[in-house]
Amino acid sequence: MTEAKKKDKKLMIGLAVLAALVAVFAILFILFRPGTTQGAKSITIEVVDNHGDSTMYDLQTDAEYLRQAMEEAQGLEFSGSESEYGMMVDTVNGVTADWNVDQSYWGFFVNGEYCNYGIETQPVTDGDAFQIIYSK
Amino acid sequence: MGKGIKLKNTTYDIAMTGMAIALIEVCKGAMMGLPNIELTSFWIILFTILLGKKICFVIPAFILIEGCMFGFGIWWVMYLYAWPLLALTAWIFRRQEHALFWAVLSGLYGLFFGALCAIPYVINGCFNGGLRSGLYAGFTWWVAGIPYDLLHCVGNFTLMLVLYRPVKKAFSLLRRFLLTGAD
Repeated sequence: MTEAKKKDKKLMIGLAVLAALVAVFAILFILFRPGTTQGAKSITIEVVDNHGDSTMYDLQTDAEYLRQAMEEAQGLEFSGSESEYGMMVDTVNGVTADWNVDQSYWGFFVNGEYCNYGIETQPVTDGDAFQIIYSK
Repeated sequence: MGKGIKLKNTTYDIAMTGMAIALIEVCKGAMMGLPNIELTSFWIILFTILLGKKICFVIPAFILIEGCMFGFGIWWVMYLYAWPLLALTAWIFRRQEHALFWAVLSGLYGLFFGALCAIPYVINGCFNGGLRSGLYAGFTWWVAGIPYDLLHCVGNFTLMLVLYRPVKKAFSLLRRFLLTGAD
């Protein structure tokens, strides 16, 4: 086999490995992606501001993800910058947390555990207790 | 002076370094609206091939500018090792000429970008709840972003396959023109 043919063969193997990895990643996502449930869900969202004051929102929702549930919660106002990964919340109920100013941020928790996803992809299931806590 | 990396900067190299940083930033800004479709990987690979060890000037400047523009958050920590790792890999394979080779490498980098970026979440989780909690946090964060990694992979592969030869040739002609005045 010539040197050029050997090289081409190696490249084809590399391409096949890449294609196989793409398939493996897609299967992993299908198997382990964040699960959601549809239908009426009863959840709570607690906001703890920079003074430690707590505001509780109880809602019945069909929201699959946290952002929609937050938008449905009456009286809960939030904003942030939109990024390719979804909204990065920086202001909740008029209180802004800015990491670059004083290392403060809004921490998101579900049932006492730190949320592993952004608000666009954080699943909402019946009985969930969310907390949005001003942290520094 | 010890036997460190010997970086002799000519006027051409300094101009190329500045242009490299500017090109990476402009392309990144222009393509920001597209989810994980970027030219940063392409430019870092290409400039590593063209500039060799002088890429050591480009990457820190790029990372610093990104931090200054968008804030020094946890994503910035990922930049500290993710882009230098790509440059190091490209430097190791710098003698490869085939566009398909670089397309596969760039595609692999895009595919594993999310996994690389999950490392700070693993470390953070380990500090908060032990190794198991850290691995779980990193794994769930990585899995949630797999669709973006797949897009990143396809984007990187395609852009490199299409652009590698013409852009490299353009830079070779530019270098010849600037250094010798030949057309």
